[in-house]
Amino acid sequence: MVLARAGWDVTIFEKGPNYFTDLGSERPGTVFSNDELKMSRSFSLPDPTSEPRVFRSSPQAQPIIGAVQSLPQTVGGGTVHWDAKTPRLWDIDFKKLSMLGPVPGADIADWPFDYAEISPFYEQIEELIGVAGDIALFPKEPTLAHAPRTKPLPMPAGPPEYSSLVVSEGCRRVGLHPFIAPMAINSREYQGRPRCDNCGFCSGYGCPILARVGALAPLREALRAGAELRAGAMVVKVETSGHRATALSWLDEDNELHRESGDLIVLAANAIETTRLALLSGLADPYDQAGRRVMFHWFSEGSGIFLSERLHNYRGRDHTHDIDDFADPDFPGARRAAKAAGLPYFRAGKVELGGTQLPLDEASSYQEVLRLLVPEKPFGAAFKQLMRASLLRDRLCGIELIGEDLPYATNRVDLDPTVRDWRGIPVARVTYGPGPSELAAQAFYMPWLVKLLKAAGADVAIAIPELPSPRFPIAQDQVPATEHVMGGMTMGTDARTSVTNRDGRHHHLDNLFVADGAVFPTSGGHNPTLTIMATALRQANTWAST
Amino acid sequence: MAVFHRRQVLQAAGLAGLAVLLPPELLAACTTSPAPAGGGETGRSLLAFDPHEAKVVEEATARLIPGPNDDPSEAGHPGAREADVTRYIDTMLGALEPRPPRIFAGGPFSNRAGWPVDDMAKFLGLTPAQLSGWTRRLASFRARYREGVKTLDKMAGGDFTAVSTEMMDAILAQDPGGFMTLLFTHAIEGMYSAPEYGGNADLVGWQEIAWPGDRQPRGYSDSQVTLSDGPDLYTPKGIGAQLLGLLATSP
Repeated sequence: MVLARAGWDVTIFEKGPNYFTDLGSERPGTVFSNDELKMSRSFSLPDPTSEPRVFRSSPQAQPIIGAVQSLPQTVGGGTVHWDAKTPRLWDIDFKKLSMLGPVPGADIADWPFDYAEISPFYEQIEELIGVAGDIALFPKEPTLAHAPRTKPLPMPAGPPEYSSLVVSEGCRRVGLHPFIAPMAINSREYQGRPRCDNCGFCSGYGCPILARVGALAPLREALRAGAELRAGAMVVKVETSGHRATALSWLDEDNELHRESGDLIVLAANAIETTRLALLSGLADPYDQAGRRVMFHWFSEGSGIFLSERLHNYRGRDHTHDIDDFADPDFPGARRAAKAAGLPYFRAGKVELGGTQLPLDEASSYQEVLRLLVPEKPFGAAFKQLMRASLLRDRLCGIELIGEDLPYATNRVDLDPTVRDWRGIPVARVTYGPGPSELAAQAFYMPWLVKLLKAAGADVAIAIPELPSPRFPIAQDQVPATEHVMGGMTMGTDARTSVTNRDGRHHHLDNLFVADGAVFPTSGGHNPTLTIMATALRQANTWAST
Repeated sequence: MAVFHRRQVLQAAGLAGLAVLLPPELLAACTTSPAPAGGGETGRSLLAFDPHEAKVVEEATARLIPGPNDDPSEAGHPGAREADVTRYIDTMLGALEPRPPRIFAGGPFSNRAGWPVDDMAKFLGLTPAQLSGWTRRLASFRARYREGVKTLDKMAGGDFTAVSTEMMDAILAQDPGGFMTLLFTHAIEGMYSAPEYGGNADLVGWQEIAWPGDRQPRGYSDSQVTLSDGPDLYTPKGIGAQLLGLLATSP
């Protein structure tokens, strides 16, 4: 958007399909719909058979091939299916080394800019994509103390969700500070796009009415300013000459190779795919830094089951309330627990209050559960009784803790030596495991998830980590179920420990920039997308003036 | 939104005349099937199964998700047979033969929640990457169904459909080659997915669990989002009590 408006001749390459029509027009169309089966069939995600990734929990572990930290591969990217929660990162995230200090074994770093410097870009993005919320209701401690605001958000908050209200009440009873989370979902008509109609197919679904857009907003502006969009075009190589990136090689859907030269090249394919492209291109990397310090956020899920009523969690936004208390390194007891674990400090992150699963996922849960409960006949009338009782859908209130991942040089993305995609191109291999900080924080905060759900009146409450670890072997999947991908091409001032500079410029290529989550030096304890967009906007302003 | 139950209550009370108070699109969702005519053995044209395979799949999935005629405790509760899960699976296995393939239903809306036409009935083309993935996936599924049906027949002494339901259950419980698990996964999809995919006939799968299904473009009102629907007590019993017990003792 910035470059196109500044008069550059911009071409945007998207590997996946375009599920929108007339994006530059006032009223674009889409084929996204309220269809659980369609989304479960990887409609917007890379097909795990033809475009798999590889995951290992350590270099020695058995590789798993398939869907690994999949994000939408389609025009609009991750914000096509995002939950649109738009918290800002905190001052201590940008200056973690200076403000919180080092953690043994981790590469704690400062970002090359601080909260004050990125604040105006946060404001511009909030205006551009349309964030709803009421900052007067944000907790002064810790939220506003660490992420101060000067302007109201462009839209008032939308309707609170019943289950979020119920769990918020539980949070208050145990001394926590729930509030309506800022989110980029229209609470009224905004810039020609309609108000959200509460259909409920939200997180994980493309919005059928474009009441929630995200990156489509700047993309539409770019198209109006003359940018060209090529969907179904996979960039496979950045060509270089000396200190310059000169051109892109790309494959069309028929696998025919094309070439496009350019004066300025920006990679923004998400942390994993951008790193994959850098490695496929053999970009200069004298200190073996590309792909290192990838971060995902360790998620933990709490589930509260309510027997006295159905919570109808399937209506409205995925959830409407958050708490930030667990993102605070000074949360009561956290410093002491960290010390006991031999750590200077630890953090978890925000907790999203509310959410459930839809019938196909619910039914799969019972399919699994019946194997445990009735191995002699794990099907039949018992299954249907469970579906009607709906303990794991209509009577379920889910909560999700987003835990901060520290940057470790050993957590990395590289190219798998044998696995290839349907085109025959090596796929990304992720090697990732939690460190002592993540495990200690998880052990400390998991019981809190149960505690706040019980305080909210849940008859049964459990907490399950989505991060597999020896301490929590019951984790749901072998591959961490997270869609927050950060790091790999981290920003920094020292080329020996980072890949890009403060403007996202590659340390060894003067006109190659990275503008996605790959540049994050730390992960924070909040949803990263708003910060990805604000960082990209800040950087794009520097490129436009070069 | 207990669509099914509201209508039943009206009928049971002999007050069907009051149905006029329901929004017309809600009534339409209660009474019509947007899916093409199907169900039963007559007139079925199969894409992937031969008639015997279809029969085995129908009987097996009716054991997994039983209806009123498959399990006496399910009186009044349609199951896989009534939802025509077999047609869903056959449609999926043969999905690449029609053009466009029957993999991704269209959008943005069906005609079930206040829109005049069913956009979801217009299936979408696949990208080469999607086609590559689905070609391999469906070839694998077809081979597993071919093999799985043969195995069920063999374990039943020749014809799975000829043995007692107790025997069928005993065979399926052994999950030979993971075939029961695969069948169950696909039966779930056929039971609870949008009817455009070939199952959930007459929306019986959704009505059975009081699930409103797709809601665009009507959506929900703010008060439907924010307010409680009122008390609806579940008294733990049977398998539900067992599930709660399992969860309560989780670490």
